[in-house]
Amino acid sequence: MSEIKCKYPILRVKLCGRFPRDFANPPSILEAMKQFKDPFEAAFEEQEESPPDSPAPPDDPDAPGRRLRPGLGLRPRPHPAAAAAAAAGHDDDDYDDDDDLLDEPSAPAPTRAPPPPPPTPTPPPPPQPPPAAASGAPGTGRTRRRKEDENMEVELGKLAPGGDPDKMAKMQAILSRFTEEQMNRYESFRRSGFQKATMKRLLVSVTGSQKVTMPMTIAMSGIAKMFVGEIVETARIVMSERKESGPIRPCHIREAYRRLKLEGKVPKRTVPRLFR
Amino acid sequence: MNASSSGKARAASSSQPSDSSSKRKRGIFQKELQHMMYGFGDDPNPLPETVALVEDIVLEYVTDFAHKAQDMGSKRGKLSVEDFLYLVRKDAPKLNRCKELLSMQEELKQARKAFDVDEEKLAASLD
Repeated sequence: MSEIKCKYPILRVKLCGRFPRDFANPPSILEAMKQFKDPFEAAFEEQEESPPDSPAPPDDPDAPGRRLRPGLGLRPRPHPAAAAAAAAGHDDDDYDDDDDLLDEPSAPAPTRAPPPPPPTPTPPPPPQPPPAAASGAPGTGRTRRRKEDENMEVELGKLAPGGDPDKMAKMQAILSRFTEEQMNRYESFRRSGFQKATMKRLLVSVTGSQKVTMPMTIAMSGIAKMFVGEIVETARIVMSERKESGPIRPCHIREAYRRLKLEGKVPKRTVPRLFR
Repeated sequence: MNASSSGKARAASSSQPSDSSSKRKRGIFQKELQHMMYGFGDDPNPLPETVALVEDIVLEYVTDFAHKAQDMGSKRGKLSVEDFLYLVRKDAPKLNRCKELLSMQEELKQARKAFDVDEEKLAASLD
C-alpha cells in the first residue's frame, strides 16, 4: 500500500480501505498487537476505561456475565486491582476503545508514519499461543470500503489523542492477557454495530420526516447498541440468578426487559400501542 | 392493513411506508444483532428466537425514543440531535458515549476535508 499523505492518522488508516469486516475470519488482534504500538492503539488505550460499576463476574471464567460498557472513556476507573484481576483472565474493564486495535489489525506498518509521537513501545507478546495468521486479507477490504467506512468512522473516531499513559499501559496489560475466546468476544463487541443506512431508514419511517441527519443516526445507533448491551447483560444476570447456563433464552430477555423497565431505562409509550 | 401486507411482500425492501408493526420488519438487524449479542456476553451462536425478540425490543425502543425526541423537537420546531442528548441525560454512560461518537464524527469530517485539500495540492504539484 503506497504511502498516503495525510496528517490525520485516523483518516490515513481509513483510506487504506483495509478493514474486512469478515466475522467468520476476523483478523487476529494479537498479530496486530505484536506488530507495534501505533498511535491508534496508544490513543485509544487511554479511552479504554470502562465504568467501575461492572458487577463482579460469575464463576465462569468466560465472558458471560461480564458487564461491558462501550465508549465510557470519561469515567475514572478506580481499579488498581484491574491488572491483578486481568491476570486471572477476568476482564470486565476497559472495553471501550479497543476498536482501534480491532480495526487495524492488518494495517501494514509502512502506511502509518505516526505524526504524534507514540507512547511506550509494545509490551512483550502475549503468552498464549499465537492464533492463525490474519486471514482477513487486506485487499478484500477495498471493495467493501463504503460499508465499512460507515461503521469504521464511528469506531475509529475514538482514537482521539490525549492519552493517559497509565490507562494505556493498563489496557495493554489487560488485553495481552486475554484468551482467544475473550479476544473474539471483545472484537465482536467493538466491531458490531447497527448499519447506518438501516438505522436512518428506520428513523425516517418512524419520524415521518426526511430530515434525519447523520449525527442523529450515529447517536441513535450508539444508544441502541448500548441498550442491547444492557439487555444482554441483565439477561445474563438473570440467568446466573436462576443458575442456568448456555445460550440466552427469550424468557431471560423478557425478565431483563421487565427489570429495565422498572429501572426506567426504557422509554414508556405515552400513547398505548394499538393494532399490534 | 395495507402497509403490513405490502411490507410482508417486500420484507427486505427499503421503501416501506409509515411504520407498521414490528413483525413486518423482522430480520433487518439480525446479522448485526448476532454479533452484538455475542460481544455483550451471549453465546457465539445466539438462539434465533432470542435474536428475534431482542430485535423487536430494539425496534420498539428506537421507535419510542424517536417519538419522544420528536415530541421534544416539535416544541422547538424540528428534530435535532440535541433532543436525543436530552433524552439520555439521565443515563451517564449513554450520554458520554453519544458525545464521544459525535465529537469523533466531527473530527473525521474535518480530517476528510483537510485530506481533500491535500490531495488537490498533491495533484497540482505533480502536474
